[in-house]
Parts: sequence; structure tokens; C-alpha cells
Amino acid sequence: MVVADAGMIAIGAGIAVGLCGIGAAMGEQAIGAAAVGAMAEDEKFFGKGLLMTVIPESIAIFGLVVALILLFVFNV
Amino acid sequence: MLRPTKMTRVVIAGTKDLMEPVISTFHNLNLLHITDYSEESETFKIGKPLKPASKMSEYLLSLRAISNQLGIKGEESKSTSKSRELKSRMDEKISTLQKEVSSRFDEMRNLEFKIKEKEDIVISIKPFFGLPLSLESYSGYGSVKVFTGYIDTDLEQQLLKITNKYELFTGEHEKRKIFALFIPIAFGDEVQKLLQDERSYSELKVPLLKGNPPIVLDGLSKEISALKQKYAETKAELQNIKNEYSEFIIAADEYLSIETMKAEAPLKFATSPNAFIIDGWVPSLKYDEMEKALQKNTGGLVHLAKIEEKANEEDIPVELENPLMAKPFELLIDTFATPKYGEIDPAAILFITFPLFYGIMLGDVGYGIIVTAMAYFIKNKFKTGGLNSLALILLLSGILSTFFGFIFGEFFGFPIFNMVVHGEMEHGLLGIAGPAIAGIHIPIHRFGEVQSLLLLTFAIGIMHIMLGLILGFRNQLIEHGLKHAILAKGSWMMILMGGVLAIAKLMPAVTSKLPVPTGDPVFIVGSLLAIVGLILLIAGEGFISILEIPTILSNVLSYSRILAIGLSSAGIALVVNTLSMDLFIRPHGILMGGGIVLALVGVLILFIGHLINLLLGILGPGLHSLRLQYVEFFTKFYEGGGKKYVPFGYKRKYTEE
Repeated sequence: MVVADAGMIAIGAGIAVGLCGIGAAMGEQAIGAAAVGAMAEDEKFFGKGLLMTVIPESIAIFGLVVALILLFVFNV
Repeated sequence: MLRPTKMTRVVIAGTKDLMEPVISTFHNLNLLHITDYSEESETFKIGKPLKPASKMSEYLLSLRAISNQLGIKGEESKSTSKSRELKSRMDEKISTLQKEVSSRFDEMRNLEFKIKEKEDIVISIKPFFGLPLSLESYSGYGSVKVFTGYIDTDLEQQLLKITNKYELFTGEHEKRKIFALFIPIAFGDEVQKLLQDERSYSELKVPLLKGNPPIVLDGLSKEISALKQKYAETKAELQNIKNEYSEFIIAADEYLSIETMKAEAPLKFATSPNAFIIDGWVPSLKYDEMEKALQKNTGGLVHLAKIEEKANEEDIPVELENPLMAKPFELLIDTFATPKYGEIDPAAILFITFPLFYGIMLGDVGYGIIVTAMAYFIKNKFKTGGLNSLALILLLSGILSTFFGFIFGEFFGFPIFNMVVHGEMEHGLLGIAGPAIAGIHIPIHRFGEVQSLLLLTFAIGIMHIMLGLILGFRNQLIEHGLKHAILAKGSWMMILMGGVLAIAKLMPAVTSKLPVPTGDPVFIVGSLLAIVGLILLIAGEGFISILEIPTILSNVLSYSRILAIGLSSAGIALVVNTLSMDLFIRPHGILMGGGIVLALVGVLILFIGHLINLLLGILGPGLHSLRLQYVEFFTKFYEGGGKKYVPFGYKRKYTEE
């Protein structure tokens, strides 16, 4: 692949991380609110709730992976 | 390891007169998981509690009330008592205790109430220090009405508009004006209205006492201190009782709990008018021990039978069995779900993978040592229970973090070894180049080797998922047979393996704009394998299963978090170090070049930054490592839904038979 403009690649990587972060945050806010609600009912839910809350964090990590691939694989 | 303890179903039958020794034996053995009898029939009914049950629970109730009043709850005792002694003196001791404790407890409540009452009076007397009257002169008149209170305005002028027949005393209390007004009862209502309209007025009630306020106060203070002393004495007496009896109370509580449990055991049995039957599960290896003890204690008069017939898997209680080191990881299994009896218990696998993932994620010698030390401290503080298990898990994770920190060459984000960055030599803390172990040059810098480390995490992910699929294959094989196992799990293995082979050949071609490598044998084999897997999957689960293909890809990609979490933590550490060092502590490369204050600010930034990063570093890797287990690994084979093995019995701590 032709080496694209390094600046454009950096911007693309930034957009990937940023948008994925927003997506993950949207997922987490809903789960987090529900987890806090469940914890109010039963404090034992803390561990499970915390775990559930980090599940959408995958989305942010996918963004990071895309960014890393952009930066290190395409930016030869 | 990997499998729950083997259980044997056992049925015990005997005549009712043997019920008590049988219950006692089982309770002491702490081995039998009793299955509740629930299908009542003509002949067999659910058993009734033994006679002492109600008496015992009564004792227990009073004892717990006493221990609450004495504040013994949750305390530990160092000695143990003999059950027989406890039993013989139970009645006498509990009734004495009840008398002694509750009378004193009531007295203390009473005293508290009195003290509060007197203290309230003291507060209400104090304002009247400002007026030259004794307390009895404020009340007891037939034709005179008395008003007392605070007021800021001049009352006299307004009063004169109503009448000139009055007596007004004024004074001051805590910088507020206070007054006492004596007025013929006929003007009472009018004055009342006047005062109500006055905003600064607030009423003061005069306590119904006699004498000069200072003298009364003096008397009251003496009374209060006498009451307080009495209170302290009673409290000390209670403390004495507590010291004397706490051992007894703790031991008796245990004894009574055990006796109540025993007396209520028949509620789980099937009983006819003259006989009883107990149905339960015992670890197979302990069956002989149980049989021997039972026959010895009943003179061989009860009948014991092993039931070999295949039981419903959900009914068999599950006891996890793992080597000592892997034991704490059972906590993580139980948090998810207890496995079914026939399933694999993955605690031993978690013992390896959880700390490994955690270690690679945190990967810093400094943080690793702190986590290890903290875990060691918690482990020693809590000897049993969930916190102890958690501490042990954290301890292993911390040790591995330190190990990987060495490999990555990081100490609180500072490089340990010398490295070449962008063609320039950067000096590490040790000032030497890293060693080469087995041909690999240490440090493997995480920022420098992102690409290869990313591939490594994918490789870890593929292996981990493959292991999950293999375990799933085994579970399916046991439960549903070979055909089902191949369709449900074998197909996924082929898709994963084939997909990996094909993509490994395809990716480099795509990135360098070469044609698809159709001639490459690895690519062909991989593609074929994936297609066969796909066909098997569709045959097994229908066309809808195509929708699940992307999940395997996202599962593998998900393992990139092993690198990503580490990078973000190392990134934060780097930012903190660069910020504090280059801007505050060592500006322009001169130590304290900006003065001592700037340097101190730098140290503060360094400390707070690393503290925050450490907290994130404990939480993040822990949760994400666990998530990889639960979401990516467990979903490939684990169902859960087993019943926990809870043997009938009790581990005595404070009593002996």
C-alpha cells in the first residue's frame, strides 16, 4: 500500500480511539447505572456489577487496536 | 484438579430411636450432604424436630440478646469448653446472666434518660442568670400573667400603649436581651398578641424549680455528676460480667447453634411412625469412614446403602477439588457460577492464566512490588474467607507483574536498562544494558515493540480460546456424544484454526497490495478448514449460527487488551515522570534548577500521579484479566448451575464433644 500522509494517518487513529471511547462510555453509563441500582438492593452485587461495567470497554480497545494498526502497519 | 470431587449417593434407614445417635454421628463427621425430602406420601412424612429444639432456640434467643447487650457479638474466644459442662450449667448460667445483665442494662438506659433530662433543665436555666429573680417567682399567680423570653426591641414603650400596670425585668444572656414581664391577667391576651407580632421575640420556658438560678444549677450539676458516676459504675459492672462470661457466651452460642441444627435435622428426613430414611451425598473416598463411624455409634443397627443408579446431574452436590495453590481461584469460579457435577472445574487453569494476563498488563517492577506487598499484608490480616483468597490471587499476580516489569524494563515507568530510542542512547536506572536471556534481549520495550507484542497477544488469545473449545468439546462429548461435540465445538475449532492460517497469509498480501495468495498451500488448507468448519456449524446449529462468526474474531481481538491496558498504564507513568522530572525537579537537565519549591511540587506530582496510576493499575488489569476468563474463555465450555456441596455438620471452634 502506498504510504499515505502521516498526518492523515494520525488523525484517523485519533478518530478511531475517540469515537470508540464515546461508544464504550455510552454502553458503560447504562450498565453502570443499572449496577449501582442492583448494588442498592444487594451489596454482594458489587463484584459482578463492576465486572459487567467494564464489558463495553472492549469497544474502546478495538478502537485502540485499529489505531495501532493504522500507526504501525500502514505507516511504514 | 479440573474435576469436582466424586460423590456417592447413600441412603440410610433405621428405627426412630436411633435417630439421635445417627444425627450426632453425621454432625460430627461433617460429610453428608442431605437431600431435603419433599414428596410427602401416605407412609412417609417430613420429620418433626426433636424435642429439645424449642428449648434450645429459646436459650439461643436469650443468649444472643445478652451478647448483644454486652457487645460480645463478633468477638473471638481463645479457649474451648466441654459440651457436657456447658449443657449441665446452661439453664442456671443463662438465667443468672439474664438477671444480672438485663437489670443493669435497663438501669443504664434509665440513668441515661435521667442524665439527659437534667442536662436539658441545665440548658433551660442558664438564660435566667441574667434576671434578678429566683425561679419560683415566675409562677403560681392567680391574677398575674408572666411572659419570659428574648427580645431585641424596647418593650416598655409599646407596653405603655396598653397599660402602665406592669413589672418588667430585663437582663442579658449570651449577648441577647432577655426579659421577664409581670402583667395583670386582663391584659394577657393583648400583650400576647403584641409579642407574637414582634419578630425578635422568642419565648423561654421557666423550669418548675425553686431557688436562685446559680444555686439550683449548682445542685443540678452535682446530681448529674452523681448519676454519671453511677452510670460509669454500672457500665464497669457490665464490663466485668462481660469479661467473666464472654468465653461462656461464645462457647454456649456455638453449642446451642449446633444443638438447634441437630434438633432440626429431621425436617430434611422422610419419617414413618417408627422409622426414618435419610437420603444424601458423600464424597466417594469418605464413604467407608462414614459407614464405620455410623455402625460403631449405633451398634450396627442402621441400614446403609449405596445407590449406584445414575442420578440427575443437577441434583449431585458439587465440591471443588484443587491443589492448595489453585484453591483461592475457586472464588472466581463461584463468583461466576458453581460448575455442574459433570463439568470441568477451571480453577487450576485460572491459576495460570489469570496472574499471567494480570502480570503482562501491569508489567512494572515498582507497581508489582507494591501490589505484592499489599496482598501479603491483606493475606496475613484476613486468614480465611473471600478476602484471603483475593489476597492470594493478588499476591501471585503481583509477583508476575514484577517479573514482566523486569522483562519490559520498567520501574514506576522509568527505564531500568539502557536503551536506544530513536537512535539516541537513553540511560536506565541501573545504567547498564539489559541482559540477553535465551537469545532475547531484555528489555522488550512496550512502546517500541507494539506491533510484535500485539501479535503476541493475539497468539495468546487464540491459544486461550482454543483451550476453551477443547474443554467444551470434552464437556459435549461426555454429555451428548461425539457427533454433537464435533458439530458444536469441533466446527468452531476448525473455523478458528483455518481462519488464523488463512488470515496470516492474507494480511501481508493485502497490506502490500499483492494479489491474494491462492497458490500458497497454507492459505488453501486454512480456507478449506474454515469452510468445512462452517458447514459443520450450519449442520449442527442452523443458518442462524453464521451470525456468530464475527464473535470469534472479536474474541481474539479482545485479547489485545493485554497490551492495551499495559500501554495506557505505562503511558500514564511516562507522562507523570516526564512532567515532574523535566519541568519541575530537573528543568533543563539541572537538578533543582528551578528552586526547591518547584522541585517539591514536582515530587508531589510524581507521588500523586503514581498513586492514581497504581490504583488504576490494580483495578484495571484485575477486571480485564477476569473478563477475558469469563467472557472469552468460559463461554466456550462453561455452563455452571451446579449445587454446592454443604455437608451437614459444623467445624467446632470453641467447644469440644
